[in-house]
Amino acid sequence: MKIKFWGVRGSIPCPGSSTVKYGGNTPCLEIRFGEPGRLIIIDAGSGLRELGISLMSRNDSVTPIEADLFLTHTHLDHILGLPFFTPVYLPDTKLKIYGPVTGEEKSLETVIGGQLSYHYFPVRQTELAADIEYINLKEGSLDLHDGITLTTKYLNHPLLCFAYRFEYQGKVICTAFDNEPFYNIFSTDPHDPAYDEAMAREGDVCARTENRRMEAFFEGADLLIHDAQFTQKEYESDKKGWGHTSIEDAIGIAKRCNVGRLALLHHDPSRTDRQIDELAEVFCDPGLTGSTEAFFAREGMEVRL
Amino acid sequence: MLVARVNSDTHLKRIQAYIARMPSLSTTVTKVLETCNNPNASPNDLKRVISLDPVLTGQVLKLINSAYYALPHPIMSLTRAIIMLGLNTVKNLALSFAILETMGNKRSFKTFSMQAFWLHSLYVGVTAKLLSTIKGASLSEREDFFVAGLLHDLGKIPLNSQFPDEYFNVLDMVKRGQGTVRHCESAVFGMDHCTVGQMIASKWQLGAFLIETLGCHHCPDESTRQTRSFVSIVAVANIFSDLLNTGVSGDTGGHGSMMTYLLEQTGLAWETLYDLRETVSEEIEKAKIFLEISQKV
Repeated sequence: MKIKFWGVRGSIPCPGSSTVKYGGNTPCLEIRFGEPGRLIIIDAGSGLRELGISLMSRNDSVTPIEADLFLTHTHLDHILGLPFFTPVYLPDTKLKIYGPVTGEEKSLETVIGGQLSYHYFPVRQTELAADIEYINLKEGSLDLHDGITLTTKYLNHPLLCFAYRFEYQGKVICTAFDNEPFYNIFSTDPHDPAYDEAMAREGDVCARTENRRMEAFFEGADLLIHDAQFTQKEYESDKKGWGHTSIEDAIGIAKRCNVGRLALLHHDPSRTDRQIDELAEVFCDPGLTGSTEAFFAREGMEVRL
Repeated sequence: MLVARVNSDTHLKRIQAYIARMPSLSTTVTKVLETCNNPNASPNDLKRVISLDPVLTGQVLKLINSAYYALPHPIMSLTRAIIMLGLNTVKNLALSFAILETMGNKRSFKTFSMQAFWLHSLYVGVTAKLLSTIKGASLSEREDFFVAGLLHDLGKIPLNSQFPDEYFNVLDMVKRGQGTVRHCESAVFGMDHCTVGQMIASKWQLGAFLIETLGCHHCPDESTRQTRSFVSIVAVANIFSDLLNTGVSGDTGGHGSMMTYLLEQTGLAWETLYDLRETVSEEIEKAKIFLEISQKV
């Protein structure tokens, strides 16, 4: 498997002189399975635009571009690159777009298509020339053929959001781009007028169970690409419930799951290159991460498994 | 005979279409809108407002049980569902079903009062929970009994909403002593609210305990062995509520022998039920205050 990061930033693209090294594009990951390889893309953040340009330049203009695009969820920073992905304007392109949808009232196609409407973009969804198939995903396993299997698991985020686990030729890559460890959201203070003992206790049990299920999902991954938007101090100050993980927690999860390599992703848009370097100095020290090799993902970075 | 079957098929199709987008109850809708639109509403408040609406509770459980295929057991706990789905998701779901109601679905309860239906559902939920406590259920199991009691009559909503005139006939037949609500529903629709309830619980993948409760709360002996004692406790709570004529479930008593049989089966006593009345009333009053229901129902 060959993995390339085309976007690593969370929330909003943040170009500028202070983000040149790690990059300002929002999440997009290219995975090649085999050689020349089946193409799987995770998320359509602003990094997808440059992946599109790269695919066009690599293409012989005879072979159609075929790709499976797996959306972790449909928040804007993970889908805004799609209208700028040049291959969607080529009639020969075959694109399968997979993703979760909360509830049943709207299909994935409608949710994605929302940004391709008159008030937001000049091109309408129906005008995309490519052959695009939308597939609503739920929690479970999927045989993607060519020896690739995919398992999906919901994470803790303000919208249904997937962790993906790809297995291919004995290697495992897991992604959890936007994720917050589960915690008991109900009042546990007996002096609180709204306190309910059953709710408080069930909340504790549920958070523990779900965190165990989540970690079992990442177990033994050769590469885990995990949300690490905040430091623990930032998280605890006022970011609880935003749906993101602290760097410290991400490292803790990876260590407990015996992960080989941990790529920290979804960097906060306000984080400068210098700050990330300083954080890497502290948190990516093998003395702290043990047998897991941790690094902050950088736009353009490639990893081979 | 052919005509009856055609009618029954038509009923079935309309009911199935309705189940897909069943609106929230108007009794709770104001509070749902208020709580979900308030960014500072606490998770405890959100859980409480949802747990007082049988349709919303069903919809939240439907979402979690249909999306989370990898779960080892169906989820009946709202607390768990809210943590797993996240506050935002649940708030949005609740809002969408509350808005459906305010969009003019006023015909939903043409035949009998929605508040009376709500009151009966809540009474059965609270009683079932208290009975399960007496039977030694754990804190989390008690919530399952509450949810089952709250949802037990869900099958009446599509029948009542989609066929108000026919449902009026059903209640009229019951009043004139032509049979129980179930019997009269079957005579008019070719199916009763238990069948429709079972259909909803199966379609929403609510799990064996809720499927059996909605389908067999008038005949627990027909439920599976695994769920029978659970369903029987909800059945006791249901008959008790009918005997006290709380809210309007349609049936107004005449369950004496069934109750005696079920009390034997569940190992409960009349005295136990009698002693619960005050506690149940207090719980209902608290719910009314929370929902700011001023009218006497």
